Amino acid sequence: MPMDEVAIDHHDAHDHKPGFFTRWLFSTNHKDIGTLYLIFALIAGVVGYTLSGLIRWELAEPGIGVMTQFVAGEGDVAIQNAKHFYNTVITYHGLIMIFFMVMPALIGGFGNWFVPLMIGAPDMAFPRMNNISFWLTVAAFVLACISMTVPGGPGNGFGGGWVLYPPLSSTTGHPGPAMDVLILALHTAGIASILGAINFIVTILNMRAPGMTMHKMPLFAWGVLITAVLLLLSLPVLAAALTMLLTDRNFGSQFFSPAGGGDPVMFQHLFWFFGHPEVYIMILPAFGIISHIVSTFSKKPIFGYLGMAYAMVSIGVIGFVVWAHHMYTVGMDVDLKAYFVAATMVIAVPTGIKIFSWIATMWGGSIDFKVPMLWAIGFIFLFTVGGVTGVVLANAGIDHALHDTYYVVAHFHYVLSLGAVFGLFAGWYYWFEKMFGIKYNGVIGGLHFWLMFIGSNVLFFPQHFLGLQGMPRRYIDYADGFATWHMWSSIGYAITLVATLIFFVGLVEAMIRRRKGEANPWGEGATTLEWTLPSPPPFHQFNELPHVTNKGGH
Amino acid sequence: MRHLLAALCAAVMASPALAFVPQDGALGFQPAATRIAERIHVFHHFVLIIIVLITLLVLGLLLWIIMRHNRKANPVPKKFSHNTLIEVIWTVVPALILVAIASQSFPNLYYQDVVPNLQQITDKSDKLIADGKTAQQERFAKDYYPEAAEKGFVNVKAQGNQWNWTYTYPDLVDDSGYPLEFVSNPVHVGISADADNYAGATGRTDFASKPRNLGVDYPMVIPEDRFVRYYTAAADVIHSWAVPAFGVKTDAVPGRLNEGWFLVEEPGVYYGQCSELCGVNHAFMPIEVRVVSQAQFDSWAEFMLAGDYEAAYATVDVFASNEQATQFAAKQ
Amino acid sequence: MAHDEVKHDFHLVNPSPWPLLGSFSVIVTALGGVTFMKGLFGLEAGTWWLLAIGLSMVIWVMFGWWREVIKEGRVGDHTPVVQIGLRYGMILFIASEIMFFVGWFWSFFEFAIFESARVGETWDSANALYADGLSRFAGWPPVGVETFDPFHLPLINTLILLLSGTTVTWAHHALQHNDRSGAKLGLVFTVLLGMVFTLLQAYEYSHAAFTYDGTLYGSAFFMATGFHGAHVVIGTIFLAICLIRLLMGGMSADKHLGFEFAAWYWHFVDVVWLFLFAFVYVVPFLVYGG
Repeated sequence: MPMDEVAIDHHDAHDHKPGFFTRWLFSTNHKDIGTLYLIFALIAGVVGYTLSGLIRWELAEPGIGVMTQFVAGEGDVAIQNAKHFYNTVITYHGLIMIFFMVMPALIGGFGNWFVPLMIGAPDMAFPRMNNISFWLTVAAFVLACISMTVPGGPGNGFGGGWVLYPPLSSTTGHPGPAMDVLILALHTAGIASILGAINFIVTILNMRAPGMTMHKMPLFAWGVLITAVLLLLSLPVLAAALTMLLTDRNFGSQFFSPAGGGDPVMFQHLFWFFGHPEVYIMILPAFGIISHIVSTFSKKPIFGYLGMAYAMVSIGVIGFVVWAHHMYTVGMDVDLKAYFVAATMVIAVPTGIKIFSWIATMWGGSIDFKVPMLWAIGFIFLFTVGGVTGVVLANAGIDHALHDTYYVVAHFHYVLSLGAVFGLFAGWYYWFEKMFGIKYNGVIGGLHFWLMFIGSNVLFFPQHFLGLQGMPRRYIDYADGFATWHMWSSIGYAITLVATLIFFVGLVEAMIRRRKGEANPWGEGATTLEWTLPSPPPFHQFNELPHVTNKGGH
Repeated sequence: MRHLLAALCAAVMASPALAFVPQDGALGFQPAATRIAERIHVFHHFVLIIIVLITLLVLGLLLWIIMRHNRKANPVPKKFSHNTLIEVIWTVVPALILVAIASQSFPNLYYQDVVPNLQQITDKSDKLIADGKTAQQERFAKDYYPEAAEKGFVNVKAQGNQWNWTYTYPDLVDDSGYPLEFVSNPVHVGISADADNYAGATGRTDFASKPRNLGVDYPMVIPEDRFVRYYTAAADVIHSWAVPAFGVKTDAVPGRLNEGWFLVEEPGVYYGQCSELCGVNHAFMPIEVRVVSQAQFDSWAEFMLAGDYEAAYATVDVFASNEQATQFAAKQ
Repeated sequence: MAHDEVKHDFHLVNPSPWPLLGSFSVIVTALGGVTFMKGLFGLEAGTWWLLAIGLSMVIWVMFGWWREVIKEGRVGDHTPVVQIGLRYGMILFIASEIMFFVGWFWSFFEFAIFESARVGETWDSANALYADGLSRFAGWPPVGVETFDPFHLPLINTLILLLSGTTVTWAHHALQHNDRSGAKLGLVFTVLLGMVFTLLQAYEYSHAAFTYDGTLYGSAFFMATGFHGAHVVIGTIFLAICLIRLLMGGMSADKHLGFEFAAWYWHFVDVVWLFLFAFVYVVPFLVYGG
């Protein structure tokens, strides 16, 4: 990396931190807000992960069993209630994991913490707006949780899937207030993300340290910049779609109502115009994190830095023109499908550049297999698996057979659950010491990785087989022929449960032992600016801006 | 391990069966019953080979790096960060692979997606025969069935409702001019009274032959070796009409009429399930398609139009006896 | 804070209660909104007080927050580099607003272009429509919908908005040349023109031959023009606040970010209207009435 020559002055010995409530409730400090985001994502992640546990528990064997214990009534009444409950569980699992776990952790948490540190800025551009981004995300989560518990239609909560397709999400399918609360929750989350995106873009464009040109900027900052642009341009379209849905439900407009001449598929177009960039929003920051980890532990500069940066740019750009590949079966014109097939497959090229550049970065390196590096290597392999099944699904011809089956579930969990989440844990272990000033136990971290790696593969790999056999998504009960692989999938979940418990054990252990962290525990390979600061960094860093000179080049 | 072996055996030995239900532990597709599905499988296997090779390449490189470029084996890291040639290669080669995939993808897509013009098929086949291009004609016939084309389409409309399917045959009309239309209800909805409800509603004793969560009371029936053009529509929310063995899946969207086609050569019972989340009983609105001989189909249609649904059902009952049905059920 | 040692020009903002209060008031507003529309927590639909509390809290937070921003600007926190950041921020905010309107236009175009396909027998007939240009709008507005004549009130409104665009530029130039009375006069005209636009739009709405509920055309029309109208109101308030600040002696010839942003916002609202006028009013009218 280019920042190997950094002139810096440590003058920030006096740390006047505000009092507890002022510091954490009224915060205008990017590191504190980042920490708040991470804590929030942990809590929301536990909720979302518990919901997925309910799903796997229910699907472990054929028949409707587990879900009946969480709903009112007995016998057949309970079974009817359980069916709706299951639908709400899958819906909120998806929404919570996307909007309240992955995005707050990767963008809000790591983005807030490390974008200013990496580009040599004292804070974010708009520190107070940064705080409302966080608190609005919390507000959105509170609203989403409320929506789970108020009447939706057949039961409490909204059970129409995270994609919210009308007419199931209009009064036809869910007449109750749960969907209205959920729409407003997503509006709130959207506003929070748009404000956050503006903040990141301005910070990165305006606050880079002297000498830090765009082409010297660390790849994580690049990833967050592109993510922020995607958020800024895609979320308002979702907001428009949600607003139309809201007025369809409450004020008699006819946008998505076929009876009035409207078109439900219109919503799908608007939704996926947001939804497809959204999947890159979740993965691009992880790409950045992985690049730094791979470089750090190989003790080598990133291979093909510019190619890596512009691969992300092109993924972001192409990401805006491929949305309808989520809609191959809605009855689109065949020529339109052909276009979306071609456009979608193009994304494989920049993605391939990234995978191979990571490998080339490691090639010839002197690799240290510390915990973050394990997660990074795991990420590269599993993201490849998820990526290549994406190429399969990009072909409308095959997608007609696999659309809305478990193959799709397996695909997007490989890129998100084993991609974005592995990137998230990689970042967590990479920066843990930097953020909190204490060391974690490497053995526990390694155990966490290996159990998670095995567990999530056992969990998701068999779902490819289920999908090929024709197992549809979002089913509470399945034909007997799907039993074996569902059982294996649930066993995989149990393994990840153990892994997750170990993660918390590691966290608690580190908090109890309080081994003092070093400024740079990773040695010569860690070249970005955050490692020039003590761990944890001072309350306000870079009171004198660092000067980045380009001796090493890349 | 035992499961895995069993699964592998099942995958290898999967042969055209009487009924197409998901096989426990299977690793791949259900056996293809249409040329569409066959072509999907061929294309999928082609892509599968490519992606497996790519994944193995990445895995191999990673393992090699882990073994050879670690701290012990290589204490001094190299410092290179550029190699234009290799960067060009890993940009161009994937692009070429994608072109290769696309060259298979588009013909497949258009084959499935465009409802064929039967007159053109007949004409083209006749011309090929007249020109003496028999090999070409055979290849053409494999995809487009000129003999079936002469008999025209069987039209069926599948309308999704919360939570069953309504099938309409616009070409089969009764004396007063109304087309044949009936509701196809699920046999199983996950409750304890399923068996009793089924027996009570139909008076039948073949509950055991209905695979769980797949069987319906009055299946959709089509003749073998005929072009079927199906339309999908929906009454309330979005549903999706899908039969894995046929390789077809078309959303049923309120306010729209989507269409598709297929042709099944082998008689049998084929199952599918609603493939778009449609509410509480989404998992319980299966699709059962019985493919029968033209004669059986005609008599089924006659009984249905006369309103004798049970007699019609008996004509398309592919199981000669209850014993056979039970055997079949046990095999699943 | 370690402000005494800071050797850079960036603005380290002091801790502030407004974000937390703002987020709390958003929860109240959202729940109040649903209570008003659907009824919630045992409160009947039409219960308005929760929504009213929420909205007043939101307005209170906005007031308190932006008052703090203005104060910070006055004490010199907005150094040149911070001003650049604020400008970027405003541009990006307007960019996201543009994407918001993309949503309305997208739905309007889809409904207009595919109307005859949607009411026709199969979706395929849409392909036939690609054949010739404007006839894509054939069947839109749907039969029986009587639209506005774009060359009466809407044209006047277009001229009003364009004129207001020039008056705001006049005010801006006057302010840059330290001609404060000219700036005030220009702004007064702009605000008045904005209010006239809103009044005329409200007048037009009250004479619409179609309604928001029940018809697709009404939904698409009122959603697009209504959201534009809301932005006109917001822009007018924004400009009015600049006027008040000018009258109270705020803003200077070389530093008046609030004014600049209000002007940018106003131009954005202006341009959106031109698109609305062209595609929502004129084109369907030409196809339908011509």
